[in-house]
Amino acid sequence: MRNFYLQPLRGLMLLALALMLAPAVSAQDAVELMKQAHLKLYYAGDDGKAEVVMHLIDKGGKERLREFTMLRIDNADGGDQKYYTYFKKPSDVSRLSFMVHKSADGNDSRWIYVPAVDLVKPISADDKNSSFVGSDFTYEDVSGRHWSEDKHTLKDANGKLDGKDVYVIESVPVKEYKGFARKVSYIDKALMIPLKEEYFDKKGEMVRIFRADKIQDIEGITTVTSRSIENVKKGSRTVVEFTGIDYNLGLTDELFTERFLKNPPREYIQ
Amino acid sequence: MKKLVTEFSIKHPWVVLGMATLVTIFFAFQFPNIKIDTDPENMLPEDEPVRLFHEHTKENFGLSDFIAVGVVKESGAFTPEILNRVYNITNEILDIEGVIADDVMAPSTVDDIKQGPGGSLVIEPLMAEEITSSEEATNMLGRIKDNPILRGKLASDDGQAVAIFVPIEAKNMAHRISQEVYKIIDKYKGDEKYYVAGLPMAEDSFGAEMFKQMAFSAPAAMIIIFLLLFAFFRKMKIIIAPMVVAMMSVIWSMGLLILTGNTVHIMSSMIPIFLIPIAVLNSIHIISEFHDHYKRYKHKDATIRHTINELFVPMLFTSLTTVVGFVSLAMTPIPPVQVFGIFVAFGVMVAWFLSLTINPAIGMLISTQTLKDFGREDDTRGMLVSLMHAFRDFAHGHYKAIIFGSLIIMAVAGVGLSMIIVNDNPVKWFKTSHPIRQADLAMNSHLAGTYMNYLVFEGASADDMKRPEVASYIERLQLDLVKDEIVGATTGLPDIIKKVRYELFGADSSALFIPESQDEIAQLLFMFEMSGGDPDDLFKFVTPEYDKANLWVQMTAGDNKTVSRVVKRAEDYIARNPLPEGIQAHWAGLPYINIEWQHQMVSGMRSSLLGSFVMVLIMMIILFRSFIWGLISMLPLTITIMAIYGFIGYIGKPYDMPVAVLSSLTLGLSIDFAIHFIERLRLTHRRCGNFADSYKEIFEGAGRAISRNVLVIAIGFVPMLFSSLVPYITVGAFFLAIMLVSGLVTMLLLPAILKMFNRKLLPACEPEPLHNTITVTE
Repeated sequence: MRNFYLQPLRGLMLLALALMLAPAVSAQDAVELMKQAHLKLYYAGDDGKAEVVMHLIDKGGKERLREFTMLRIDNADGGDQKYYTYFKKPSDVSRLSFMVHKSADGNDSRWIYVPAVDLVKPISADDKNSSFVGSDFTYEDVSGRHWSEDKHTLKDANGKLDGKDVYVIESVPVKEYKGFARKVSYIDKALMIPLKEEYFDKKGEMVRIFRADKIQDIEGITTVTSRSIENVKKGSRTVVEFTGIDYNLGLTDELFTERFLKNPPREYIQ
Repeated sequence: MKKLVTEFSIKHPWVVLGMATLVTIFFAFQFPNIKIDTDPENMLPEDEPVRLFHEHTKENFGLSDFIAVGVVKESGAFTPEILNRVYNITNEILDIEGVIADDVMAPSTVDDIKQGPGGSLVIEPLMAEEITSSEEATNMLGRIKDNPILRGKLASDDGQAVAIFVPIEAKNMAHRISQEVYKIIDKYKGDEKYYVAGLPMAEDSFGAEMFKQMAFSAPAAMIIIFLLLFAFFRKMKIIIAPMVVAMMSVIWSMGLLILTGNTVHIMSSMIPIFLIPIAVLNSIHIISEFHDHYKRYKHKDATIRHTINELFVPMLFTSLTTVVGFVSLAMTPIPPVQVFGIFVAFGVMVAWFLSLTINPAIGMLISTQTLKDFGREDDTRGMLVSLMHAFRDFAHGHYKAIIFGSLIIMAVAGVGLSMIIVNDNPVKWFKTSHPIRQADLAMNSHLAGTYMNYLVFEGASADDMKRPEVASYIERLQLDLVKDEIVGATTGLPDIIKKVRYELFGADSSALFIPESQDEIAQLLFMFEMSGGDPDDLFKFVTPEYDKANLWVQMTAGDNKTVSRVVKRAEDYIARNPLPEGIQAHWAGLPYINIEWQHQMVSGMRSSLLGSFVMVLIMMIILFRSFIWGLISMLPLTITIMAIYGFIGYIGKPYDMPVAVLSSLTLGLSIDFAIHFIERLRLTHRRCGNFADSYKEIFEGAGRAISRNVLVIAIGFVPMLFSSLVPYITVGAFFLAIMLVSGLVTMLLLPAILKMFNRKLLPACEPEPLHNTITVTE
C-alpha cells in the first residue's frame, strides 16, 4: 500500500532531481569530455618518441623547416610530464637540444643547450603563450593546456564537422588570459580527439585555428600524425608532421636531465 | 574674335550670365565626389623605385608608420604614479581602431631579456602589471638602459622621459588616432607633460588643418578684396563682377579636377587661393579702365568697347604667361604638382574668358541711373593719382639713380640666391608654437628621435645575415652613424645577437660581442625565439629567411638637409669600407622618401622655371614684335624673382616645397604689370606721338590700374600671414612681395629706362586720332 502511494511521488522526486542536476551533469560532461580529449592528445601511452617536421609558412607562402626528435615521458596522466627535443634542422642549430619539465602545479622548467658555446641555460617558462621555436604553435599548443584552467560548456552534443559527429564545447579561461578569451573545440565523438579548435580574442575575433589534419592508429593508439595551427590574424600557418612514432619505449626520468641534454641518448636519437 | 565675344556679351548679357551660371552649377555638382589625399608620399609617383622599396621594406619586416607619445617630467618620470598612468594609457591605446596592438612599444608591451632566478634567461614584458614601489620604477629604467633595443627609445637615460610608440595601419589614420590618444591622455594625466609626435601624424594633421585653413583663407581674401574694391569704385553692383569671375573660375577648375578623377592633395587644395588673385587682376584692369573713361563716353557700351579694345591684348598675354608659368609645373616629376599646375592654368584661362564676358555683361545690366555718379572726372585728385604722379616725377628726375640702384639690388640678390639652402621638413610646416612642433622639440631633445629611417642590407641567399662578417660590418657602421649628432640610436640584428649572448653568459659584459662562428650566431638567435621572445620582434630586424637585415636609424631631426647628411655618412662609410661580398645596402623610411622627392622637386622646378622663363621671353618678343621690348618687359619679373629668392637666401628660410612651387606663381604674376605697362604705353604713344605726353599718360589710367592691383592683392592675402601653417604664411608673404616688388619695378625702373633710352624706344611719330582705337582690327 505504502509503495503504491509512494510510487508516483518517487517518480516525481526523481524527475525533480534529474531536472536539478541536468545543467550540472551537462557541465560535468563538458569537463569530462575535455579531460578525455586532453589525455588522448597529450598523454598517449606512458612515454613516446617521434620524428617531427615543422613547416613554418608565412602569409606570402614562403616556407621554413624545423626538424627535431621529440621524447616524452608521462609521470602521471594529466599531471607531470617531461619533454626532450633534439634539433636536426636548420643545420646551423643541429645538436641544439631543449628540455621541458611540465608540472601539474603550473611551475614548468625549461632548459636549452647551445652547442656552439657548449652551455646549458635554464630559460623562463612563465609564458606558455609564447611561440615554440618561432612557429605558430605556442608552448601550450605543444604540451596542452590543463582542462581545469578553463570553464567548459557543451554547446552542441550532436554537432557535425566535415560529416563527422562531434561535441562542440566552448571554453573560457577561469583567469583572464592573454592567449585567448574563448575557445570552441570540435571533438570527434568516436575518437575523442579534437578535430578543430577555434581561438577568439577579447574583441570576439577569431585569431587562431588548430586542426588535426591526419589521424592514424599507431600501436593501437589513436594518434594525430599531422596537425596545424593557422594564425588567422597574421595569415601565417604552421604544419607539424610526426613520423617514426613509437609508444611505451620504457623511457626513464634519467634521460630527461641536464647530462643527456648535452649528450643525447643515442639509442633514441640518431 | 574679341569683337564677337564682347559684342555678344554687350547684346545678350542675360544669356552670358545664364550660360556661365549653368556651367558653374554643373561643376559645383562635382564637389560631393571630392576625394582628398593628404599623403606626402604621393608626391612621388606610385611606381617610383624609392617608394616601392620603402613599401617592400615595410612588408618584409612587418613595419608600420607610427605615432610617438612622449611623457616628460623634469624631476623624473620613473615613479610608480607616472608609470602606472602610462600603463593605463597604453592599455586604452591598444583598443583604438587602427592601432596595430601587437606592435605597440611601451613599457607594458615590450619584452625584456634578463637574468631570472637560478641563472635562468627570462624574456618577459618589461612592465607586466601596475607597480607599487619606486624601486621597481628605478629598476625598470636600469633595465631599459641595459637593453640596446630599448635604450633611448623607450626612455631617456636620465629618466625624464618615457615613450610609447603606436604603430598604425595607415598613415591617413594618424590624425584621428592622435586625437583619440589626446583624449585618453586627458583622462589619466597628472602634472607630467604629454606630447604626441611623429612624421605621419604631422603630415596627416597638416592635411586636416590645411582644409580648415583653406575654408578660412579663401573667403577671407574674397571679403578683403571686396572691401578694397568697394573703397576704390564705391559701386557694389560693379564690383560684384570680379567676385563672380573669381568664384566661377575656382568652381570650374576645382569641379573639372574632381570630375577628371584627380584627388585633392595638399597642393591642389591651394588652387582657389592662387586663382582668386589672378582672376581678380583682370577684372580690376577692366573696371579701372571703365571707371576712368565712363565720364568721357557717358555711354555704357561705348565705354565697354573701348575698355576691352584697350585691354584685350595685354589681358590675353598676362593670362598666357601665367598659364606658361603653371603649365611648366607639369614638367616636374611630382604628380600632385603637375595636377596643381595644370588646373591652375585651366582656371587662369577660365578667368580670362569670364573677365571678358561676365564683366561686360554685368556692366550692361547695371542701370544708367546707378552709374550716374560713377567714373572719374578728369581733374579728380586722389591718393592714387598723387602717388602715381610722385612716381612719375621721381622716375623722371632720378632715372640714373633708379637704374644704378636696380643693378645693385640685382647684385646683392644674386649673392642671396647663392646662399639658398634647400631643406624641408613636414613637421616644420607647423609654426613653432603649434602643439605638433612643441611635441617634436620636446621628444627629440629627450629621446632617440621620432624620425625613423631604415638601412636595409640585402644578401644574395638565405642565412647571409648570420654571417659573422655581415653582422660585425653592420655593427661597425652603426658605431659610425651614431657619431652624427642627430642620430639618436641605431638598432639592428647585431644588437639582438650581442644582447642574447650577454644574457646567456649571465649578464657578463665581456661576452658582449659578435661571435666569429656563424653557427653560434644562428643558435643565439634561435635561442631568442626559444625563450619566449616574440619572433615578430626579431623579424623587424631580419627576414625569417635571414637574407635581409634592417638597421633602424632613429634621428632627432627630420630636416631633409640633416637626413641627407646621415645618408651621405653611410654612403661614405660604405665607400671607404666595402660591404661584405654579395651584400647590398639601400635606404627606406619616410624621412628618406622626403629627401628623395625634394631632390626631384628641386631639379624639376629648376628646369621648369628656366623653361618657362624662356617661353615667356619668346612670348614677349612676339607680343611687342621687338627683341629689345621683350627684354625690357622681363626686367620686373627677373628682379622680382631675384629679390624674393635672394631675400629667402639671406634670411636663411629653407627652399622647401611651397617656396619651390611659388616660383611659377612669381613668374606668372610679376610679368603682368610690365605687359600692361608696355602694351598700353605703346598704344598711348601712337595716340600722343611724343615721349613727353606718352610718359605722362601712362601714369594715369594704366598706372592707377596697376597700383589698385598691387594694393588689392597684397592686402587681400594679409590674413594668410596669421595662419598656423607655415606654407600658408609663405604664400601670403609671396603675394605681398610679388605685388610690391613687381609693381615698384614696373612703375620706377621701366619709366627710368624709358627716360634714358626714349629716343630709341619711343621715337616721335604722327599721332593717331582717338576714335581709331575703338575700331577693332582682327
